[in-house]
Amino acid sequence: MTAPVPVRRRTPLAPLVVVGLVLLVVTVLVAVAIGPAGLGVGEVARSIGGHLGLDVTPVPRLHDAIVWELRLPRVLTAAAVGAGLALSGAVMQSLTRNPLADPYLLGLSSGASLGAVAVLVVGVSLLLPVAAFVGALLALVATFSLARTGGTLTPGRAVLAGLAVSQLCAAGTSLVIFWTATGDSYREILSWLLGSLAGSDWQSVAIAGIAVLVVGGIVLAQAVRLDAFAFGDTAAGALGIDVDRTRWTLMTLVALLTGAMVAVSGAIGFVGLVLPHAVVALTGPAHRRLLPVTALAGAVFLIWADTLARTVFDPRELPVGIVTALIGVPVFAVLLRRRQGAAWS
Amino acid sequence: MELTIAGVGTRLGGRWVVDGVDATPPDGALTGLLGPNGAGKTTLLRLVAGLLVPESGAVLVDDSPVHELPRRTRARQIALVEQESSSTVPLTVREVVALGRIPFRSLWGSDEDEGAVDRALEAAQATALASRSWATLSGGERQRVHIARALAQQPSLLLLDEPTNHLDISAQLSLLAFVRGLQITTVAALHDLNLAAAFCEHVLVLSAGRLVAAGHPADVLRPDLLREVYGVEAEVLTHPRTGRPVIAFHETTTPPSQESS
Repeated sequence: MTAPVPVRRRTPLAPLVVVGLVLLVVTVLVAVAIGPAGLGVGEVARSIGGHLGLDVTPVPRLHDAIVWELRLPRVLTAAAVGAGLALSGAVMQSLTRNPLADPYLLGLSSGASLGAVAVLVVGVSLLLPVAAFVGALLALVATFSLARTGGTLTPGRAVLAGLAVSQLCAAGTSLVIFWTATGDSYREILSWLLGSLAGSDWQSVAIAGIAVLVVGGIVLAQAVRLDAFAFGDTAAGALGIDVDRTRWTLMTLVALLTGAMVAVSGAIGFVGLVLPHAVVALTGPAHRRLLPVTALAGAVFLIWADTLARTVFDPRELPVGIVTALIGVPVFAVLLRRRQGAAWS
Repeated sequence: MELTIAGVGTRLGGRWVVDGVDATPPDGALTGLLGPNGAGKTTLLRLVAGLLVPESGAVLVDDSPVHELPRRTRARQIALVEQESSSTVPLTVREVVALGRIPFRSLWGSDEDEGAVDRALEAAQATALASRSWATLSGGERQRVHIARALAQQPSLLLLDEPTNHLDISAQLSLLAFVRGLQITTVAALHDLNLAAAFCEHVLVLSAGRLVAAGHPADVLRPDLLREVYGVEAEVLTHPRTGRPVIAFHETTTPPSQESS
């Protein structure tokens, strides 16, 4: 018999997920209560309970409408988008072995925005998520072909290529809106380029929520394959992984997820960059543990970011992307400094 | 397990980097793969690992071509340790070794044999490192952990690409002694001819993609072969304690015109 080996214990997954879920529910209730109209958390819970068919004391109709028609769809959309962006970032960072990979930095989000506004011009809003997905996929292909020209794919090259692609797509998005918008085109441009959850309704909850649950489930089933990429493509191949197929399948899923997120909220940055790095310290790098906790953390994070965005300058609103950038850019800087030197070139 | 390399060749950018190599490394022993930089050692190892499909010939493991084996089946038979393989992922040593169990895990991550990681750590004498962070290991410790990861795959064929690179001399000696002691069929690309002479039972010498010599180091590593393949002058001595060949290099004879000036 082998003696038991001393292991640095990682916190077990189940309690992390339970704590995350409790935190998410509390966050939703509190965030819905925050804002003008002076709602209490108990009132919010009763309003939601009533709509779920529970036997609770009814809430005044105006308050009920604020909870059910305005704030809850917005908070739930924020949760789904935050989870989706955080998942996308985690998957991209593992597949590219690039700690800076994220749908926003590599241009996918801007590509999705351009796809979405292009289809809005035509006026078929039903196709919005599909067009955003196609935009994200094209941006992904553009970034990687640009980053690969004349050499191997290094983290630095990928981010530079992503910058070029996202600037181009952002310019395209602005152009399309200027060309066509009848109302406040600046506000509309800002909400596509920096992201905004102000227009959330139950349809956006459905789009973002279904995308996160379905794509998230498929990605989670690939967790073991993602683990195999820790030492690069050859090592993954030697562990029995079909490297090319796995990479393109997962990248396409990330584009799909990004497309759905951007279709409901525009291009919100830095959620995918920040959350996986924060969560990995808690869960360790095994994806079966990392991915679900990252998704929960992304949901909670974006709800609070959006709550700040709509309350700090009340009654005016900040695009939520400003809040996530204020938190995300310092993290980006820390990552850059930590990896200074040879590893980047 | 019987390994046969039968007329294997492949091109990169139009050039045959491995060209019609025939070899049968002995079972359960350490075979050294030698040759100057660019001779095709790494490419040949990838072909043997089944990661590249040969354009000519085939690598046969017990008579089946490796590139036709299902990926997971192949990964349960053949383990590869790359040259200078590193990661930015904050893994512990135990988690690195557990990667070797991926070919045995179902999609949802269960592994029938959790003890395999413990046994691999123990076999590689890396048990004491188990809870250390991968990033804090020395070069020699990293190689040892990579080999433990490879052993967790329970391979019948072990492929090592320059396993002694950047190790100090004591780490080089202990690593090769350990690998030889595993008694798994092993093919290791090596730069240091004296290490190959001391530890390998069989050596294969590649030059410009072709196999130019194969056999016991004492029969293969002769001055004329070293001159032809590496372009160096050497005397081959016999180690007074081990009886293995020892290669003593010397400068090319200086032309007399320069000596007289």
